[in-house]
Amino acid sequence: MTQVLHSTDASVAQIPPEVEASRRSWARKRRMSRLEQVGLGIGVPIALIGIWELASAIGWIDPIFFPSPSTVADRAWKDAANGTLAGDLGTALRLTLVRLLIGFAIGTVAGLIIGLAMGTVRAVRFGLGPLVSATYPMPKIAVLPLLLVLLGIGDASKIALIAIGVFFMVALNTLSGVLYSSPLHHDVARAFGFSRPLYYRYVVIPSAMPSILTGIRLGIGQALILVVSVEFVSSNDGLGYFIWNAWQILDVPRMFVGLAVVLVLGALAAWLGDLAERRLVPWAKR
Amino acid sequence: MTTPQAHPGTTTSIDMPNATARSEDHRSVADVRHLTKVYFTRAGDPLLALSDISLTLHRGEVLALIGPSGCGKSTFLRILAGLDDDYQGDISWRRGSEQGRPVSATVFQQESLFPWLTVEQNLDVALRALGCAKPVRIERTTSYLELAGLGEFLKAYPHELSGGMRQRACVARALATEPLVLLMDEPFAALDAQTRVVMQQELGALLERVDACVLYVTHDLEEALTMGDRVALMGARPGRIKYTVDTDRQGMTRDDVMGIRSRPEFGEQVRDLWNRLAVEVGGNLRRHA
Repeated sequence: MTQVLHSTDASVAQIPPEVEASRRSWARKRRMSRLEQVGLGIGVPIALIGIWELASAIGWIDPIFFPSPSTVADRAWKDAANGTLAGDLGTALRLTLVRLLIGFAIGTVAGLIIGLAMGTVRAVRFGLGPLVSATYPMPKIAVLPLLLVLLGIGDASKIALIAIGVFFMVALNTLSGVLYSSPLHHDVARAFGFSRPLYYRYVVIPSAMPSILTGIRLGIGQALILVVSVEFVSSNDGLGYFIWNAWQILDVPRMFVGLAVVLVLGALAAWLGDLAERRLVPWAKR
Repeated sequence: MTTPQAHPGTTTSIDMPNATARSEDHRSVADVRHLTKVYFTRAGDPLLALSDISLTLHRGEVLALIGPSGCGKSTFLRILAGLDDDYQGDISWRRGSEQGRPVSATVFQQESLFPWLTVEQNLDVALRALGCAKPVRIERTTSYLELAGLGEFLKAYPHELSGGMRQRACVARALATEPLVLLMDEPFAALDAQTRVVMQQELGALLERVDACVLYVTHDLEEALTMGDRVALMGARPGRIKYTVDTDRQGMTRDDVMGIRSRPEFGEQVRDLWNRLAVEVGGNLRRHA
């Protein structure tokens, strides 16, 4: 049967020798386009930092509030050498990461469960839909006072706030992933008599997976925003407090060091998201 | 989720001892009696989609169902596939001694493999749904994919295959469940003309080897006359069986697609069927105008 489809006769169809040159140019083009992508991604931020450095050196911007990048780097280097960076910033980072990860985990699990339930059970969708839509656009930091009353001023209220922010992102994206998955795949499951566990494991979750991952990536961003915000207003430790405290004592270079760490966390999260996507949805076209 | 073993239509009966008395035909695997399907429009008005369809499907027979587009072919197939259990009438499946086989398995018009599973896993999960034990699943997955000419692509993902190969994998998936009736809903309509003929040859060869009852829905007259042992013509609005004819391949096997089509009798059958179909298509157009 297959012979009919693949009946290329090797003696007739020879790859011409000139192809080597065109293969080289094809490989060069591919390399260049990859180089271009990475180069621009790194080059543009470096150029902007260069402009900032230059503007600071010429005196276009106030070095008190906008210290030059070299000043900030120099400060980070000195603090690292005398151990204060590892001490202060290390502790702050550790506390923030614990809040971030616990809140993120709780919010993701809750969002997945509620999102899947809303996507597959009509009663749940109709019952919770209006409530979720109404509460979603509210700035999450606005419920902090309520959480403080309910959970106290410790880590619990901060973790809860982060979890809420992540929950909405994951739940809403999971829901739309389930609702907009191909009806054909659901028909296949029905026509072949899938049991409920098989249906969830092999149809519902995989078909919603690209959207679930989008929700998780947006959730990480939310978590980062919320953890720093809540540490600004209601904490005496963590990265947010580190930044806010540096600002209050007008130690601006130190503030920029804190901001740089938040930046690196964001980049790291985005990279992990890419990695997860490549592993979990290998069939999706990029 | 419904199980394919028993589509939960209110009046569906499976091998009820007394029900078999209605038909003496021991070759029959499914009896459709007075099947009627009504849709409701947005305004709540009833719309007759299928009207009083009676049809018997026989063991080892390919029944090709043709008709103008919108005549309810797909609606009929969805009901038989267990995807729609809201109908009037009676469908009875005659399983005989073959308990454990699903009554039907479907090859859909569009590619319907799960893109997140390999070809092998796509078949495996369908067999798990039937409750097959692992050795049986492995044996059937391998043998049916080999039968479909995909023996070397067990571990491939659907997006790594050509459109024709994906559709062959869908045929293998449906056959692997060893259903009483294989339902095919315009399986090659999405393929280009040349690939379609090749696929017809390959499916023809496959059907010569497996003794399945197939209900083959198509809008292609030549395909219907090449693949079918019997051709049923459906009329539109409401959908009903207008005409049934036995095809005669004069000893040629189904995979000899061009051989069958080059006989003068084939041309006459096409013309005859076209004249009957044209009345339906024309009537349908006039009603729309």
